[in-house]
Amino acid sequence: MMQKPVSILVAALGGEGGGVLSDWIIDVATALDFPVQSTSVPGVAQRTGATTYYLEVYPQPRAALGGQQPVLALTPGPGDVDLVAASELVEAGRVLQNGLADPARTTLVFSTHREYAVAEKMQMGDGRYDGERVFDAARELAREVIAFDMRDIAWRQGTIINTVLFGAMVGSGRLPFPREACEAAIRRSGKAVEASLRGFAAGYERAAARSQAAAEEREAAAAQALPLPAEVNAALAALPPPVRPLAAEGWAQLVDYQDAAYARRYLEQLTQVCAREREAGGAGAVGAEVARFLALWMGYEDVVRVAELKTRGERLQRLRREVGAKPGEVLRVTEYLKPGMEELCSLLPPRLAQWLERRAGSQRRGFALRLRSDTVAGFAALCLLRGFKRWRPRSARYATEQAAMRRWLAAITARLADEPAAALELARCGNLIKGYGDTAARGRRSLGLILDAAEQGADAATLRAAREAALADPAGLALSRSLSLPEPAARPVPVRLVRRRQEEDALTS
Amino acid sequence: MERSFAAEVAKLTLGEGEVFHGEGILAVTKALLQSGVSYIGGYQGAPVSHLIDVLGDAREVLDDLGIYFENSASEAGAAAMLGASINYPLRGAVTWKSTVGTNVASDALSNLASAGVKGGAVVILGEDYGEGSSIIQERTHAFAMKSQMWLLDPRPNLPSIVAAVERSFDLSEASSTPVLLQLRIRACHVHGSFTCSDNRPPRYSRRQALEKAEFDYGRICLPPSIHAQERHKVEERWPAAQRFIREAGLNERFDGQGEGAEGARGLGIIVQGGLYNGMIRALQQLGLADAFGRSPLPIYVLNVVYPLVPDEVADFCRDKQAVLLVEEGQPKYIEEALAAILRKAGLATELDGGEAFARAGEYNGEVLLKGMAAFFARHPVAAAPAAQAPLAQAVAERVEDASRLGRLRAQAAAALGAPVPARPPGFCVGCPERPVFAALKLLQARTGPLHVSADIGCHTFGTLPPFNIGSTVLGYGLGLASSSGVAPMMDTRVVSIMGDGGFWHNGFTSGVVNAVYNRHDSVLVILKNGYTSATGTQAIPSSVREADGGKEAALDIEAALRGVGVSWVRKVPSYEVGTMLRTLEEAVSTLEGGLKVVIADGECQLERQRKLKPLNARRLQAGQRVQRTRFAVDDGVCTGDHACVRLSGCPSLTIKPNPNPLRIDPVATVNQGCVGCGLCGAAAHAGTLCPSFYKVDIVANPRWWERALYRLRQAAIGVLAGRARPLSQPAGAFQ
Repeated sequence: MMQKPVSILVAALGGEGGGVLSDWIIDVATALDFPVQSTSVPGVAQRTGATTYYLEVYPQPRAALGGQQPVLALTPGPGDVDLVAASELVEAGRVLQNGLADPARTTLVFSTHREYAVAEKMQMGDGRYDGERVFDAARELAREVIAFDMRDIAWRQGTIINTVLFGAMVGSGRLPFPREACEAAIRRSGKAVEASLRGFAAGYERAAARSQAAAEEREAAAAQALPLPAEVNAALAALPPPVRPLAAEGWAQLVDYQDAAYARRYLEQLTQVCAREREAGGAGAVGAEVARFLALWMGYEDVVRVAELKTRGERLQRLRREVGAKPGEVLRVTEYLKPGMEELCSLLPPRLAQWLERRAGSQRRGFALRLRSDTVAGFAALCLLRGFKRWRPRSARYATEQAAMRRWLAAITARLADEPAAALELARCGNLIKGYGDTAARGRRSLGLILDAAEQGADAATLRAAREAALADPAGLALSRSLSLPEPAARPVPVRLVRRRQEEDALTS
Repeated sequence: MERSFAAEVAKLTLGEGEVFHGEGILAVTKALLQSGVSYIGGYQGAPVSHLIDVLGDAREVLDDLGIYFENSASEAGAAAMLGASINYPLRGAVTWKSTVGTNVASDALSNLASAGVKGGAVVILGEDYGEGSSIIQERTHAFAMKSQMWLLDPRPNLPSIVAAVERSFDLSEASSTPVLLQLRIRACHVHGSFTCSDNRPPRYSRRQALEKAEFDYGRICLPPSIHAQERHKVEERWPAAQRFIREAGLNERFDGQGEGAEGARGLGIIVQGGLYNGMIRALQQLGLADAFGRSPLPIYVLNVVYPLVPDEVADFCRDKQAVLLVEEGQPKYIEEALAAILRKAGLATELDGGEAFARAGEYNGEVLLKGMAAFFARHPVAAAPAAQAPLAQAVAERVEDASRLGRLRAQAAAALGAPVPARPPGFCVGCPERPVFAALKLLQARTGPLHVSADIGCHTFGTLPPFNIGSTVLGYGLGLASSSGVAPMMDTRVVSIMGDGGFWHNGFTSGVVNAVYNRHDSVLVILKNGYTSATGTQAIPSSVREADGGKEAALDIEAALRGVGVSWVRKVPSYEVGTMLRTLEEAVSTLEGGLKVVIADGECQLERQRKLKPLNARRLQAGQRVQRTRFAVDDGVCTGDHACVRLSGCPSLTIKPNPNPLRIDPVATVNQGCVGCGLCGAAAHAGTLCPSFYKVDIVANPRWWERALYRLRQAAIGVLAGRARPLSQPAGAFQ
């Protein structure tokens, strides 16, 4: 019936160059003499939040319109968007969620990488949104989907994601612009032109070829099968199939953490749990969880382990890559350590440690240490600490950790026969044990409370709820509520708070 | 404000017949110069900050025309500036963000409106309503009604906006009344074009001074003048305004045209000018308008939404069965006024208003399509002449399709299964305000929850996760003032927050002076980042403006505090979380009474990077030594508890899959956006988190001896280091 304007919705995050992308589109349209309009709601959204830009282009030269002005809308509407371009996976999901993709009309172009929201990052466990949901919804609600990792391309081409996204938008064929006109607009903008053009070309070609998102070639670290000792192979073969790969990984990590004897102890304890599970008719579900978390627990993080990890040869190489250092640049590395009385005590023999802890009382805050690990002295100090590894089995921390593990394993084994589901939940509770300082203390406390409940016969559902509650808030309020316990003290280190002195003075004088 | 607006300033000098391309708010700026204004003022705030930014850089253009411009200290100050138009034939314009700015300005506005004006007085309002808004949701309309000021809401295209600005001055002078011109946020940011006319030098200006001062008791807010003024408003100014609106044709009437006009004659649409484009789009979707807005339906566009012109309205409605009113926001002032007009005119025309759309919220494409489809479902376009049957049929089909489109949102929700995580705006990478909230969070871990009176500014983001600090926000600069009722009722000392922008806007008097005078015993944290950052980093009285040649700030916050008798003042660098924590601990626990002020000192990182980046790029180019700092996380040491994220929330501190195949939870990582502010490390120390953070100072173009020392050290370290081996063995290796 009538010529429609082409409507384009760009969903981006503040600071990704969405405004520049809009300017390019305006510039191309203006150069082609097409009526064009763009709007945005930047406001405070420029500060890292989700933001959108909305553009409409009337794909006929003004000269052909005889002075008539098309009326262009300022907001996108359902059934009214031709092209959605999102710079990130969840932002594509947000456009879908707002009902702005129409299966009859809308082409959806987006980058498949993730920039995690604070709500996802701040969880005590894994709070990431399941990206597959976005792919599913996109397939259902868009006329066509073009998706690939644009951030990766941008990094490789030394540019910002908006150039790749622009290329993909043009490559989709839904913009009424020839490629050359778009490249000319990038050239006119005059900033980082060459890199932008590379990014644009890469995005254009991927989109034009309609290449699939899945075709990400990841150079997987060449998995060389390390030969394992025969006895280990035999022990692994005796385990249920789902347990084996985890147990092999656990064995290897514990050899690295301590020594082969320590790793053998791991396999022995694991074998016992698996034997019980088999007697109870289980297929290895509990064993697999134990294989995972027992290995991690036995490889608990102490200052010795941290020193070892920070003095590895491969870290020196990784470090340069991690911070994007170029060849010829000189690095100064400062480690942020805060060893406290607790860390010190944990290295001492149990009885000495107890005595010292009693004397130190609540003075546990530790001293802030900024250690230069690029100097020979600083690095040597870490190496010295690393040398305490052989001493570890005689330390106080070792003793307490082993005792706690035994209690955990006993609780699991005890429930295998009568309620395997409860045993599985308890095994999964191994994930509560992690971290340093307050985090580690909280994990130990949480697991302790859950084991108390288990020993009093709590069922699988209760244990599951408690495990989830333990990861709900750092203060442990949800866990206490979940187990009907009094809430933990709100003021662990009370500060004397002074109230209304002047008024009280006035009242007493 | 270190950004340069040279390109925009150049657009302000375009002459007759030249075509301007750019943003709506910049078109308004140009229109002011074309209107012969003598003076311009305003206070920054999205979406009108750009007007102030550009004029701030346009000294030469303004000097040529003799126009006085000032960046006012507050909206109240800006509104009071319009007082110049009361006695003298001076045209003036001021601008701010509504409704928050209008609230601040309301005392001056009421007095201005009562006295009436001789010279045209226009207020450009950025109406921040709807999606992306950062303020409480209210309409400016009420202000216009209560004070009898006229409110324009032009169609959101550049020629209409520019014409509205120019005609506002004429309307103001014809009716002796100040005029408000509201532009929605998208209209301020709309990119379009218009044909310019020459800038007009004002009749009186800094080049052509007024001859003599005037006194007129009739303009003063004392009796009996105030009673005469009120009568003058309703008896003279109001009718004069309606006369001008009618005669100048400020409102637009489009009669139905083309195919189907016959059948649509019984229906009509009345629309606020600002919603015209969205309304036309919905008509297009329903097959009732072409690309150029030509519709078989008669449309009446209210470019002036207050006051209405009753006979114009009645004339439009007279021959119609039903009229659809498109009015955004609540309460529905226009709907109520229209209903009264129809009743008084004795018309039986059915009025369809708010119910068809939404009682509250922005009228976006979705709301407009739904509301208009509902209207045409109830009032089908008649198919009376046989020739129109296809149109009526087509519209009926489109109405049907609109209900399918209306279900897309629900369909998406079902397909997604779980709502995507919210992503509200937050502190920038390296923001100096974030560490202060980290310290406040650590403080509360020791003291238990404290009542925190928050304020307006970037620091309002402290109320969001991961901090959730701030129990109330009562207005700009009102953080401390809003603690005065709750502090005496609290068992513990109350902590208030204020930015340096809010401090100078009014917080110094309404907060600090009030607290000292009333002998409050509480704690105030002033976040001193050097600018009003949330509005786009404009300068404030305590800004250090290198552009002005001076290194010293004009005004000093600490001196101001001491000057009014605050003796407990501590200045702490923002990024030192440990020091900040100790200082706050002292502030809430000291035996000393009175107001205790902690100044958190750290320059806005956005502005700092804006200066630093080009500087470093130039130095690199020249082969000079440049040092940059990055933080990073040892992914083998991190166990995935994310306590660091809960204490920081930095966009550049994020997560990635755990490299250890046994671990489930993602590990922390610092991405390429890191500016090396140091919060990660400081928070890890202050919060005793974990040893996985490390800082790397990277020296580009190092001096020869630096390079030599580095090589030497690396060689020695290489020997000491453990053998290079992967952190974990490949799984399943035993087979």
